[in-house]
Amino acid sequence: MKLIEDFSDYPMVVDNQAIDRQNYIRYRMGRLKHELWLKSRKSKDTVYVDEYDNFIIQQLNLGNTCYFGSAGYYVEDLIDNLTVIEEWPVVKTFYPKAIIIKNRKEIGDLFPNYFNNFVIINNRGDQWHNIEDWKENIKNYTRAMAPGCLFFYSFRDTQTVLWNRLKENHYDYFYNFGKSLEEFGLHIVWHDIQFAVKEKDGAGNYDVLENPDTTNGNIKFIFKYE
Amino acid sequence: MPKNIEVIPSKNLYKWAKNFKRIQDRFYDNKFKLRRLKQIEDFIKLNGYKNVYHIEEVRLDLEIPVAVDSNNADLILVTDQGYSRYPLTGIIEKINKLLLLCPNLYLCLNRHYLNIDNKKLSYAVPEDYQQAITFWLQTELKDNAMVVDISRDYIDYGKSFTWSCPDRHYYIRKL
Repeated sequence: MKLIEDFSDYPMVVDNQAIDRQNYIRYRMGRLKHELWLKSRKSKDTVYVDEYDNFIIQQLNLGNTCYFGSAGYYVEDLIDNLTVIEEWPVVKTFYPKAIIIKNRKEIGDLFPNYFNNFVIINNRGDQWHNIEDWKENIKNYTRAMAPGCLFFYSFRDTQTVLWNRLKENHYDYFYNFGKSLEEFGLHIVWHDIQFAVKEKDGAGNYDVLENPDTTNGNIKFIFKYE
Repeated sequence: MPKNIEVIPSKNLYKWAKNFKRIQDRFYDNKFKLRRLKQIEDFIKLNGYKNVYHIEEVRLDLEIPVAVDSNNADLILVTDQGYSRYPLTGIIEKINKLLLLCPNLYLCLNRHYLNIDNKKLSYAVPEDYQQAITFWLQTELKDNAMVVDISRDYIDYGKSFTWSCPDRHYYIRKL
């Protein structure tokens, strides 16, 4: 029996049917809003969203909107001129209009200075990098942004690497990260950074809840691209 | 015709986490094992523990001699991700309570959850986050327990099954 440490240490099952199925499951595990799409498509007259989705919809600029890596097809009936971009080819099987890319540079190549809104909601593929690579991703997104574009970016602090949670003030760490994006022309116009509040209950126990809003991310920014 | 918008609350992810590992296992055939799970099994076997009280959240399917009652355990094993979501003081309180039940504890913590409520420690810790976690445990438990870090030294880029079995492993023995 082989001992493994990492996803890539051992080959996944390879028959085509299994690949499609496992890619769909893996995609779903990382794209929580897909569930809203499944729910909405069963209804003739209702689209289901959560509070943060509703907040975003209220804030959008007129014009072209991109949802990247966020299962954005769930808001298709609510947003005009929507472009859904994903990295997983399996998305094409259930949402043929999706644009599938292999790397983030393609977004700017395909849509130079095109989008008036750019939305990324808890796309785990963005965070599991060292901070230089993470910022390089964001720099690539800006190539697809028109001047004045609003960039809605949210993620979870628990899925970021190479920082010391016992040493750094969490709020300062992530707010400073947001401020550092000014080098790419992205200026914070709104932010909401929240962490769990832990207090003992009547029995003297703490809850085991995660940080707020595991679906959208407990760290949310709106940047304006100028 | 324009559709109505209905705003619904989000779910907390940990509530569906119990089968997370079994779902991941299906992506592979059955000829592999996570090294860190084998490490737990070997630790228990090679040190002769016969009654292990296992506190788990994600089902790990470990091959270990399980005790149904913590009072009869010769080792308490914690792989429950929820322990890492307690505040730092809460984790130490939990450890001390478990050590009163059994003097031997194998504790697994998920580095990405620790200090979830953003509290400042009153003392300096090492720059290396992994060493900082060990330093924190050893400092807080120095009067009543010995803490041995038996984890692997690596950077976790989210590909290491940490949400199945937490990555930081400690053997803690009551003094």
